[in-house]
Order: sequence, then C-alpha cells, then structure tokens
Amino acid sequence: MTTNTRPVATRMQTTPLPYAAAAFTNGYEFTEGSGYQLPEYPFVAPPEIATGQCKRHPIVIVGGGITGLTLACVLAQYGVRALLLDEDNTVGVKGASSRGICYAQKTLEIFRRLGIYERIAVKGVQWSVGRTFAGSDEVYSFDLRQQATHRLSQQPPFINLQQFYIEGFLVEKLLEGDAKDRLVDVRWSHRVTAFTQNEDVATLSLTTPAGTYTLQADHVVDCTGSRSPFRAWVAASVTAKKGDDRWCIADVRFKNPPPVERHTWIEAPFNEGRAVWQHLMADGVWRIDYQMAPNADPALVSREDVVRERLHAQFSQLGRTLTPDDYEIVWVGPYAYRSECVDTLRHGRVFFAGDSAHVVSPFGARGGNSGVQDADNLAWKLAAVVSGKAAASLLDSYHAERHEAAQHNVMVTNRTARFLRPADGAERLFRTAAIGLAKRHAFARQLVNTGRMSAPNIYTRSAACVASSAGSGLATQNTPFVWADSSPGTLGELLGWAQGRLLLLVFGEFPLSTAAWLQALTTTTPGLRCVQVLGKGERADAMEHIRDADGHVRATCHATSAGWALVRPDSYLAATGQHIDATLAQAIAAALGGHA
Amino acid sequence: MTREINLDANFQDADAFYESLLDAHHGLSPAQSALFNARLVLVMANQLGDSALLQSCLEAAALTAAELAPTKS
Repeated sequence: MTTNTRPVATRMQTTPLPYAAAAFTNGYEFTEGSGYQLPEYPFVAPPEIATGQCKRHPIVIVGGGITGLTLACVLAQYGVRALLLDEDNTVGVKGASSRGICYAQKTLEIFRRLGIYERIAVKGVQWSVGRTFAGSDEVYSFDLRQQATHRLSQQPPFINLQQFYIEGFLVEKLLEGDAKDRLVDVRWSHRVTAFTQNEDVATLSLTTPAGTYTLQADHVVDCTGSRSPFRAWVAASVTAKKGDDRWCIADVRFKNPPPVERHTWIEAPFNEGRAVWQHLMADGVWRIDYQMAPNADPALVSREDVVRERLHAQFSQLGRTLTPDDYEIVWVGPYAYRSECVDTLRHGRVFFAGDSAHVVSPFGARGGNSGVQDADNLAWKLAAVVSGKAAASLLDSYHAERHEAAQHNVMVTNRTARFLRPADGAERLFRTAAIGLAKRHAFARQLVNTGRMSAPNIYTRSAACVASSAGSGLATQNTPFVWADSSPGTLGELLGWAQGRLLLLVFGEFPLSTAAWLQALTTTTPGLRCVQVLGKGERADAMEHIRDADGHVRATCHATSAGWALVRPDSYLAATGQHIDATLAQAIAAALGGHA
Repeated sequence: MTREINLDANFQDADAFYESLLDAHHGLSPAQSALFNARLVLVMANQLGDSALLQSCLEAAALTAAELAPTKS
C-alpha cells in the first residue's frame, strides 16, 4: 500500500548501525560487529500534568507491544478513539533482541487490512519448506504451499520477520497524518503504577518523566506482556505450568547463508543429541535455537566462545568449515519457557490480551500470532459497543472465544514441549520408538512433533456464534473475488468496506421480496452490511454485489449449500444458514451481543 | 464411525500370535525389548486410528491394583 519513508523507517531499514555496547543491561547478552538501533519516539508531557485534570477515555490500551499496537491500529481503522500508554520509548526490547519471528497467514491477513502487509512482505522472508532431522537423517519434510488449508488466501502461509519491525510499522501507521486527526493518542514513557475500578469507572495512576497524573477509563486493555501488573491489581487467577527445558538463541548473520528453509533437529549430533532450530529472518539474520541440558548454566551456554564452538560444530557436521570471518553474531540469549493462562480474560473493565493473558512455549509461533488475533477479536467488539452498534454483553464473548483459543494453544505447545523434552523412562522410550519408525514409515511422522504451526483457532463456546450452523466459529481466508465494476477484490477488502460491521453475504439470486426484507434489515441494524455474492452467470438483484465465479468466497465461508453467511469484522463466521428467515435475524442479534 | 472396543476373543489364531510375539523379542535385551514394544504399540495404534477406540484400549490396558496382585495358587 504505502512505502512510508519517515525518519523512523529509514533508521530501521538501514544496514544496522554500530551498536552502543553501554546500552546493554542484561548480563547474559552480547552482540558483536553490528546490531540494531531501534527507533526512539519522543515523550510529550501530557497536558493533564499542568492542568491537574483527570480525563475520562472510552478505551485505554496499556502496553505498546505487538498486541497493543495492533489493537490501536484496528480501532483507528474502525474510527474509534483510544489512548495507548507505553512505559518505554521504543519498539522491541532494548538490547536489539527480537522476540517473535514468525507470522502466520491469519495474522498477515490482519496486517493487510491494517495496510502494513506490503511492507512486511518486502522486508520479511517467506518460507514454506520445513525439514526435520534426527541424528544426521532427515525424518520428514513438508511444503506448506502444497497444503490445501492455506490455498484460498492471498497471503502466504508464513513470513518471518523480527518483531520490532512489525511493531515499528504499526507505530508508523498510527502516527500517519496530522496529529490532530489521529484517533489514537500514543503516549510514550508512561508507566501505570496503580489501578482501581468500580461499577462506574476504572482509574489509572501514571508516572512519566514530567511527573505523575491520573486518568479514568471505561475500558482498559492490558497488553503489558507476561509480567503484567494488572494480574495482581484485579486478582486474576492464573493456570501455569513450568518445565525444566532450557534453550539458548543465537541470531547469526552469514556471508554465505544456508537454504531458506525451516530446519529442525530433534537429536542434533552437534548439540549433544539435543534439539536445534534454524530459521531465517530479515537482513540475512538466522535464528538458531539450541536446546540445553536442563541443568545448564545460562551464563556459560551463552558465552561467546561457547556459542562459536557450537556453531562451528553445527556447520562442520553439515560439511562446511566455518571461520569467524564467515558470520557475525547479532544477538545471544538463553531462555526457559513456561505456559500460563489467565483463567478469566475479562475482569470488569479490564481485558487481558497477548502475553498478559497467556504465555506459551515458542514452538509453533503461537505467542505473537495469538496476541495479534486477540487484538483483532477484541477491537471490533469494543468499537461496535463504544459506537452503539452492539450490546455491551458482546464484550463477554471475548473471553469465551480467546480463552478457548489460549487453552488450545497451551495444550498444543505443551504437547510439543513434551515431545522435545520427554521425561526419562516411558516418555523418552516412545519418542525413540516414534523417531525410529518415522525414518521408514509415513504414519509415524505424524507423531514427530517439532511444533504445530499457528493456525486460526476455532470458537465453539461463544454465544456470539450460532453453534448449530455449519462453519460457525471458524475463520475465513482472504479469498479473491471480482467487484461489481469488474476490478479484482478480496474478502479482506470487503471487510474493510464494512468498516467494523457484520457482513451478511447472500449467495445466489433471490426474489424482490427478499431484497426488500434485507434492505429493511440493514436499515434497522446499524452494525450490519449486506452483499450479494453471485456465482457464474447469476443475476444481480437490487443491492451491493460481488462476483465469485470460482466459488472461493463460498468455499471459505463453508457455504457450499448455504444461502447466506454472516462474516464478522475479524473474518470469523458467526453463522451460516439456508434460508433468509427469522434464524438469520436471530444470528445477527446473537453476533451483536443480543439474545439468539 | 467409531468402532466399539472388542474385549471378547477376536484373534484368528491367538496361540500363533503369542508365539510370534515372544519370538520377536527373542535375543533382545530388556531395553531393546521395551523399545520394540513401544514401536509395536505405535504401529498397532495406527491400524486402529479411531481416537475413541484408542482411548478405550488405553483404559482396558490399565488393570487395577487388585488385578495386578499376584494370583494365589
């Protein structure tokens, strides 16, 4: 869409500048040669400090990471005002580390709607081939392009990119145009120090470089990450599980890079028989994750000479002699993971989203991707409620849907963790058995679990989705179609046109009486827009219509036989149905937080 | 369609299978035997495929403490 060349973007896109070593605060990290200089955003003293005024805001987002920034961008796109508070003045983590690296199709579709997808596609690296090894044998490989599940979308299965680039693109989107026209007020260097809420209002105490102040909010979204202070402030209970698996990341830039494929070793000979991950990011940087012994000393495993020795052993195993001149180490960091899920994602006026709501192991890229999808789920609901298009109870469906998603992601990632770090005894025995069989028999490759890649979650418990109808609670894909004026379009563009309203797609021709009924329905339902979807040779009736000659829209709406599909702004199906009748009106009411 | 677990006699030739099973373990160390059994479980589980049926098999294989107690002669 745009190639924005603000000063911020230029700084991030330039070949990395020499890194100021003094900025490092974490003792176990180091870089050499060049690192990243992250953009810094100016702190502006808020007027409230001088005036002493306590303003009330409809929506306050706390935390400007990938989740909070996505939420802010989606709200702005729906024309809704929000205040975003970030305790820092930059994106990413100081010290040039990257957290998330892998963005899934559903997330990319959301970024496309926000107008930053093209920048991500240009900057990031697309990949579809993954190979899994045990010892020096390839156990199996896959090519995501061959998988039917990803085929309908205009976006690829995955793009790899350092998380701070995505966050930077989102910030620039929010800062586009004149300050006075911006719907989201981004306030940097604002730390929330206290929080209270009652029936009427939420109150936040803030500390800034210019002093402290207080503000009020109708809705607060906690996007502060895994060390969220809100969990304690609202006494949120958390279900958690901690293991003893230890890893060490090395982000490395090679002069002669390896193939653009995801390689995973379950038992790498060059890592004492433990696992290794190898993934490409932007700027020719490779992320290599090494599984460590459970009792490994984090300081030792991330020491420069130890990292180099491991890297040389890895490439020598692959038949390549590496010298220090062949590569540079961009960043090193040891980590342990845990799984955590806040039991109730809504506490009064507070909504938990992203890592503050759930933390999972990195396997399958289910952290950042689910944060973005939390944000997209909550944004349209908040926008619809704040603008009076939906009932306040719609907000309860956020917990029903995204808690189910979080629990699913916890389950899936814990299963991978258990495969990768089996307990001694039977767990290790069965893994050895599965790997042994997988080398020879296709069936056993299903059991080899090096991460189940992030896919859209399914909502089965939400009052906003009509459970009895086909496809309800499933995500649609960004499929192509043809607009009435014969220009090419996509479902994402159609959702953009609906501007945060439900999209009722009616398939095929229908009589005049139905046209009148639908007309009346959209007139009386401000949260709804209606479009006729025409197959090959079908006649347009008196309303907005699109052409779906190949049936792609029909397919992604799981509407092979259905007469209509109700698509939500987050591209999920609320319901489908055969006939234009009272069941449709009930589905619309339910999807907008009313009673079915 | 889910198949019901069959805990009645279903072998075409129970004695022959039992003999083949023992033969397959012949000469294996305890560790090799355990690994062979693990592979066998996975191969057989894939034949069944059906999730509910597999779950029933796991339950059927878990004998109670009383059942595990040594039999009085």
